[in-house]
Amino acid sequence: MYEKVGRMLSYILRRAAGMVVSVLLVVTITFIFMQLIPGDPASVLLGPNATPEQIEALKRTWGLDKPILVQFCKYFANFFRGNLGESIFFRQPVLRIIGQRAETSVFLGIMALIVVVGLGIPAGVIAAVRPNSWVDNSLLLLALTGASIPSFWLGLMLMVVFAGKLHLFPSSGYTSVIATGNIANLKNLILPAFALGFVNAALVARTARSSMLDVLRADYITTARAKGLRDSVVILKHALRNAAIPITTVVSFTFASLVSGAVVTENVFALPGVGSLIVQSVLKRDYPMIQGIMLVVAVLYVVINFVTDLAYAFLDPRIRYR
Amino acid sequence: MVSFAKLILHRKTLLFAVGVLFSLVVISIFSPYFVPYDPDALKVLDRLKPPSATHFFGTDHFGRDIFSRVLVGTRVTFILGLSISAFALVFGVPLGVLGGYYDRLGMVIMRVVDAIMAFPAIILALALMAIMGKPGMVNVIIAVGMVWAPRMVRVVYSSTLSLRENTYVEAARALGASSGRILIRHIAVNLLSPVIVQSTFTFAFSIMEVAALNFLGVGIPPYVPSWGGMMNEGRTYIIRAPWIIIFPGVFLALSVLSFNLLGDALRDRLDPRLRNIV
Repeated sequence: MYEKVGRMLSYILRRAAGMVVSVLLVVTITFIFMQLIPGDPASVLLGPNATPEQIEALKRTWGLDKPILVQFCKYFANFFRGNLGESIFFRQPVLRIIGQRAETSVFLGIMALIVVVGLGIPAGVIAAVRPNSWVDNSLLLLALTGASIPSFWLGLMLMVVFAGKLHLFPSSGYTSVIATGNIANLKNLILPAFALGFVNAALVARTARSSMLDVLRADYITTARAKGLRDSVVILKHALRNAAIPITTVVSFTFASLVSGAVVTENVFALPGVGSLIVQSVLKRDYPMIQGIMLVVAVLYVVINFVTDLAYAFLDPRIRYR
Repeated sequence: MVSFAKLILHRKTLLFAVGVLFSLVVISIFSPYFVPYDPDALKVLDRLKPPSATHFFGTDHFGRDIFSRVLVGTRVTFILGLSISAFALVFGVPLGVLGGYYDRLGMVIMRVVDAIMAFPAIILALALMAIMGKPGMVNVIIAVGMVWAPRMVRVVYSSTLSLRENTYVEAARALGASSGRILIRHIAVNLLSPVIVQSTFTFAFSIMEVAALNFLGVGIPPYVPSWGGMMNEGRTYIIRAPWIIIFPGVFLALSVLSFNLLGDALRDRLDPRLRNIV
């Protein structure tokens, strides 16, 4: 018993240490990013209309007049205090602006994930149950096509059909559900979530199919069938549970791909999320904003990976002993 | 080679992929000489015309012929795809081999690679475009290349790790071969399969990403006809003239699909074990 808890604890600690190292590296990379900007950082940060006094003041607060190592330490300290600087364009703290835009992106992400899981896993399971049948072949072809379609193009096509011709959904925009309390606003996110999710569902379907196929060949499945269990019980209870680990991995991998897709999809549907924020910031050369978004997204990615690693350990006891 | 030709003929999907890619390569080389219209010629009287016998894919808001622009856009797409894959190779292969062969170096390289990969592809590419300033071909190659090089490092690294455990590497070492000789004569040569497969996927994903950057207006300058740029320009007219967006998208999806099919087939053919790595 104690040995078991110890093993689990050491596994968690090792993963946590890895996560901390990754976060430190991510912070370092974003610091380097700021150093690579052409020109004097203080005047770039303040924009073209800054007075020399303002530039001097900023240099002092951010320690830009100090040696690079001191600047680096200061940047780290600020990061841990949750101070990611101030946006040139909005003249407000970067983290606050990201917070204001987060709602749209989070809801879009969750809805897209529902599409990914809701389409991807059943499609993969159905294909695996009847391998090489016409259902399998057409699902496979659909999955491959799905993985090759750019999500923004799919979004535009959905917009033409469902918003332009059929008038079933609004074509763009989104008003906060939290601020207005109106759940119906989520309707605006259905088309974007489908465009974003479909592409990733394709990937999940392929993985679900191959891991289900592996599991369905196992002896315990034959035993379960020999016992006379119904097909649905064998597939859902015995097979899908054991195929869950590779599927979980792919679903967690889709985070990065969902974020990437969201950047363009939010732009297509004019959604006020973090993805459209970074594009605006790039076009306006709002470097602190870009840096802040990079940092927040990458740290989130590292944390999600950590949580996934822990989830494995609970799903599959063998992993803890490695 | 002969066996690969046989494989192509036997598998319909692969035949389709190779056929599409061959046509696209021909189009990208020769299209400027045979397109029906000058892709940049403005004809205001012909603006927003739907597809017809005179304009196969219709015209855009400036009356430019979409068919000619899509075909000419193939060239930019392929040049960028090739350059980005080359960029990923040049940086990815040496770093991956050295990292896989020397443990300590490998630990450092892989930590950095993991950290870079924590930034979602498009976010990293956008940030790099912001640093480099102006839109342009070279900047796009660097920005998207920097996104895909770490992925190449990863593939080469894991392949090197398993290759160096082979008996023939041990034998070479026992015979007194230098590290340089082992790396080049025994390891690098055997990396050809994973590298070819990964390059195919790099090509597919990078042209998709380039299209996204162009669509967002931060890739190559808008006056160069590109699929992503055309889709960006067509957005305003999406309900009135959806063909401006449909055709560049179909060409993009066909290219990506063909490269993915080719990559899958090459992987299964060259080394099925790569399924776990690439």
